[in-house]
Amino acid sequence: MPAIFPKWTNQLPFILVVGGLLTATSVIGGLWYYFTPKYTRVGYQPIQPVAFPHSVHVDQLGLDCRYCHNAVETSWYSNVPSANTCMNCHNQVLKDDPKLALVRESYASGKPIPWVQIHKVPDYVYFNHSVHVNRGVSCVKCHGEINKMDEVYHAKPLSMTFCLDCHRNPELNVRPNDKITQLDWNWDADPHKAADMKLKFGQEAVKDWKVNASQNCSACHR
Amino acid sequence: MESERLAELLRLSSMKTIPPPCPEPESGQKYWRSLDQLADAPEFRQWLEREFPDGASEFTDPVSRRKFVQVMSASFLLGGLGVLGSGCRRPEEKILPFGKMPEGYVHGVPQFFATAMPTRGGAIPLLVKSHENRPVKIEGNPDHPDSNGSTDTFAQASILSLYDPDRAQRYTQGGNTISKEKALDTLTNVAKEFALNRGAKVAFVME
Repeated sequence: MPAIFPKWTNQLPFILVVGGLLTATSVIGGLWYYFTPKYTRVGYQPIQPVAFPHSVHVDQLGLDCRYCHNAVETSWYSNVPSANTCMNCHNQVLKDDPKLALVRESYASGKPIPWVQIHKVPDYVYFNHSVHVNRGVSCVKCHGEINKMDEVYHAKPLSMTFCLDCHRNPELNVRPNDKITQLDWNWDADPHKAADMKLKFGQEAVKDWKVNASQNCSACHR
Repeated sequence: MESERLAELLRLSSMKTIPPPCPEPESGQKYWRSLDQLADAPEFRQWLEREFPDGASEFTDPVSRRKFVQVMSASFLLGGLGVLGSGCRRPEEKILPFGKMPEGYVHGVPQFFATAMPTRGGAIPLLVKSHENRPVKIEGNPDHPDSNGSTDTFAQASILSLYDPDRAQRYTQGGNTISKEKALDTLTNVAKEFALNRGAKVAFVME
């Protein structure tokens, strides 16, 4: 009597198990990599209506972040400057530059410049800028090295674990309040000494400032 | 035997509101509820026994359920392709700052305006909390010696009148919509006219 199944089917259980494992691994790995904010958000760099180089204004000219984003210390919202803030300087500097036509137009007509939003936490997340920048969390922690960017891009994932990493160890992530907007500031050139200073300062600051880096769900999902 | 089973059916609870079985009187007048019942027509018996009328549970529409699922899955697939085509990103949102920002304005922090609400005897000094120039809460003005920050129920509730849909939302004259400028011009002219005779024969009608 001839065999009902051909001989290769002896391998079938092995093929099924190994193939199934490989498929499951690649699916999980693919989701892990491609479906998290580390991939979906980081690097997002839309074209803005006005080519504003932060590198020129902050790194070369030395403007403080809060000259334009002036509400960051008082409000939950860090404002994008209105056209009159730009015109404080640009009514003298580069005052006929065609790249700034939209700014002049907005200043004259009052019609807003449609900047494209890059950093956005979901609507179900509450984030307050003022409470962070008044408790030693630098802009660079969430926004990356904006001072080096010609065109702003999304540098950090801003995922939930990104927030929690900081909230679990606030003492390792705070710096003196007068260094908040100095994005390239460092504790010390020597990394060991810097780590020691950071920890020492952080532990004191968390106690003195009563930093309550809550890990409760309702701290952000309120 | 058959009729007993039918009577049992009648006592079962049902989706349809079936009149509860009346105890039939042993003797005397027999009552009926419809002509069909009186005639004991076969259609009526069937109607009584079936929970749903004929055809209620059958899907006789020419678009079959199978076809519907096919069409819908195809359209979901196309919708998904459309999302992929747009770069698989959440929609682009714009940040629209002022052209000229009002002085002292901070987005996200409420502003407080001191005002007063007229009453028959005088006025209640109030402090109105306002988000993005939208009033959200009325409280008494604590800095005013008249009230020391207290209000009454009418002042508290008056915030609702600001969002009353019956509130006038345009200027009208004789029932026709007119522009704000025209309305103000008209009122200025009226004021000038009556300023000459010190407001004789002027009356305000208010709702």
